[in-house]
Amino acid sequence: MATTKWLWGMCVAFALSGPAFAQPAEAPAPPAKKAKRDRGKKKPPVDLSAEIAALNGADLEAAAKAADTLGASAEPAAHDALLDALALGLPPAVTTNAFTGLVKHPAPPDVAALRRYATHHTPTVRSAAIGALAMYPDPNAKLAVVAGLHDPVASVRAASATAAGKGRIRDAVEPMMKLLAKGEEAAARGLAVMADTELARKLADQLGKVPEASLALALGLILKRPDFGPDPERVEIVRAIAKIADSSAVTALTDYLDATPKNPPRPSRQEAQGVVEARLGGSPDKKDGKNQ
Amino acid sequence: MKTLALTTIGALALLAACPQKRVFQLSSDENNPYMLKQTLDKRRLPTQPIPVNDSKQPRVFVVTVGSPKTIVAYDLASGNVMWKADADVQSRISVGGDFIVALEGNQLVARDQARGAPRWKASVSGKFVGAAADEQRVYVVYHAASGYVLAAYDGKTGAKSWSADAAGELGAPGAHGGVVYVPYLRQWLSILDGSTGKLLTRIRGIDEQIAMLDVTSQRAYYGSKQGVFVLDEKSASGKRADATYGKVKIPPQLEGTSYGLDVYDPVQMMYTAAERKRVLWTTTTVDGQLQLPGEGYAIHYFRYVLGFDTKGELTWAYSNPRVELVASDHTGSAIVGVATNGDVVALDPRDGSVRVRKSLGTTQPVLGATFDADGWSPSGQVEKSDTVAVLVSIARDRDARFDRVKELAVRRLAQLPGPEVTQHLLAVIADPRQPQRLKDTVVELLMDRKDGSSLPVLTSQLRVTTDYIANTQPESLAAVAKGIAGLGGTKLEPKDVSAALAALQLHLEAAATSSGELVQIIAAMVAIGGGAERPVLASHLLLYHADDNLGDDAAWQKAIVVALGQGGPTEREMLRYVAHDPRTRPKLAALIQEQLGD
Repeated sequence: MATTKWLWGMCVAFALSGPAFAQPAEAPAPPAKKAKRDRGKKKPPVDLSAEIAALNGADLEAAAKAADTLGASAEPAAHDALLDALALGLPPAVTTNAFTGLVKHPAPPDVAALRRYATHHTPTVRSAAIGALAMYPDPNAKLAVVAGLHDPVASVRAASATAAGKGRIRDAVEPMMKLLAKGEEAAARGLAVMADTELARKLADQLGKVPEASLALALGLILKRPDFGPDPERVEIVRAIAKIADSSAVTALTDYLDATPKNPPRPSRQEAQGVVEARLGGSPDKKDGKNQ
Repeated sequence: MKTLALTTIGALALLAACPQKRVFQLSSDENNPYMLKQTLDKRRLPTQPIPVNDSKQPRVFVVTVGSPKTIVAYDLASGNVMWKADADVQSRISVGGDFIVALEGNQLVARDQARGAPRWKASVSGKFVGAAADEQRVYVVYHAASGYVLAAYDGKTGAKSWSADAAGELGAPGAHGGVVYVPYLRQWLSILDGSTGKLLTRIRGIDEQIAMLDVTSQRAYYGSKQGVFVLDEKSASGKRADATYGKVKIPPQLEGTSYGLDVYDPVQMMYTAAERKRVLWTTTTVDGQLQLPGEGYAIHYFRYVLGFDTKGELTWAYSNPRVELVASDHTGSAIVGVATNGDVVALDPRDGSVRVRKSLGTTQPVLGATFDADGWSPSGQVEKSDTVAVLVSIARDRDARFDRVKELAVRRLAQLPGPEVTQHLLAVIADPRQPQRLKDTVVELLMDRKDGSSLPVLTSQLRVTTDYIANTQPESLAAVAKGIAGLGGTKLEPKDVSAALAALQLHLEAAATSSGELVQIIAAMVAIGGGAERPVLASHLLLYHADDNLGDDAAWQKAIVVALGQGGPTEREMLRYVAHDPRTRPKLAALIQEQLGD
């Protein structure tokens, strides 16, 4: 591991914290470096050498399994092994397992390692790295997620939108609104996940500015969130959906009716039912007999 | 006696009506130094260049499109239209002392130069080849059924003065100072007495055809597309080496440029596009050698007039606004041109600044023009020369006909220092409408510029990244990187280098950067980094050494391995590690081992 130690230090110092040349004097010492040096003096309580060897071996299937095993381990050495392997460059087939393993025991040094893969040439690697970064409160992690929303590949943008929603990254709202305007479903879903009453109102105001189907989807998903409320806020959302002429509005409201019990009576549900009846010319509850 | 007198008169009349014995023959005295000197001495030439017209005023006679066409006579000195006249002009206009002459319909028509009214008309008994005029006479070459004929007419009356038959093809004539020059069978230049039609002498081109003739008030040039002889006593040699002969460097991009009309080309006897590709020069003879003035020469090429020094380097450029110049001339002190829209411009031959810009006020497009403006030297300056701006406008011209000229412009631009020039060159690369060949040229030029002050400009070009939301993409990333790589070994400001490396790193690590671009970026970082780039490149190699996509790209492999192979022990140790890592792509590992000599 002597070789990997110096490589790790070098790579972390120069490659993991953004443009190395722009702020050479300000580049902070990577947290992992010191921690690793200290830990390096201790003998691991559990022998992980087989897993580590497999992780760094040519057998990709075995490497992926080893990453899973190391990720599941609570041993700091297991986490370090994953970080080392990522620093030295893992094949794309193994990265997702390594990211998943890291996230199981998140630590600050992970962010730098994951960010390096967040701009990887392989879209699936980027998507996985961005998804993992959503689990870290580090501002650099959030920046990477937001950057992913601008990615040229749709699947990476979708992963970023999902990550932004999961991480409730406020800085992601504006770019996600722009993606919503372009009709990106993942942005609608991400916004719905992170929307508070203020964001929900902002979304409702987007009628005419974004595709109706995307807006209906976002508002419908917000309605269905059990943590969104109080009910007068849901009523506002229902009324906003009611203004959408596209049939997706009825779908969103029907989904809401399907997802909520009829009793106790909820004004937002009644409002939604009224709108659906008006649109369809009958009671959806009576039609399918759901939620009685 | 009366009968005898009548018989004599009749015989004389018959003689006059019949052509003389053939003046132009295959066998004849030629390249005779004595006769040539006698002939040259016979010419009555002005001591200074002056117009042919009796008023000695600089004039231009313009033909505009229409049915019928219109002749516009314009006084260049006063800036006034002298007259306009509808005329079915079928040839170039020739200017005499107090008349002009041209083929109108199928007749030779002389017009009063001061008023434009027809003065006389003469039938042309054959196919018109060309015409010329001096102060007194009109000389016409035509191809009759019996062969080629040169005929002379009195400019005032239209009376036929004489005619001369030829045993072979004659070219369009030229005239001045009482003699007429006629190219014959592409081999000879015959010189005849303008008043009698007598062959004075003739010159045979020994190592070059004689297919071009350009006659000014003082000099006669003859030759071909290869080069030009000045008619003087040395012309008797017939050889380039022993004559007063010269040529200028015509850039290959200005294809088709000539020194004058091809006198054997019937198409060029009318105003054509051939006149829009012309060397414009004035020469002197010093110690028997053709010499250009200090400012060099110019080339009119469609919309553009480009000035070249005596070594052939582009020194200035003029771009006529919007439309082409259809005719041009070098008066000795100015370059004059007429544009399609009727604008008349006079340029300073030293720097291309505009001394005069006037308008003929024509409503129809100009077809062509004949200048009679030798010696005209307009004073003043209405527009300063801005060669950089003109070169930029040429480079960014969207007219596909000028792609080669654009190449010439960018090559000259690239020779100029300064970041703004770099900016202009980059704009050419970024323009999607520019041809790839031109862009490739600009990239090469950027690499060769070695202008350290351009680094910030190149760096700023790297600010644009691929952004789906903003709908942006890097502009000419590989080209910019090549431009930066070209600065290797140049003195650069450390802060500029740091900024450039940071910008390059941004693209090195960007997902959308192609492998081809990565190769250029790596080269650029190595060229200017001075070793500071190696940790970033090492990280890059580690990230992709086991990648079955980029890691297998041969060009990328070579670029990154060579870049790090130039490093110190640390980089070599890292390369060894990668080479022995079982996950490393096989060809990459082999390349590293080859690089390290392991």
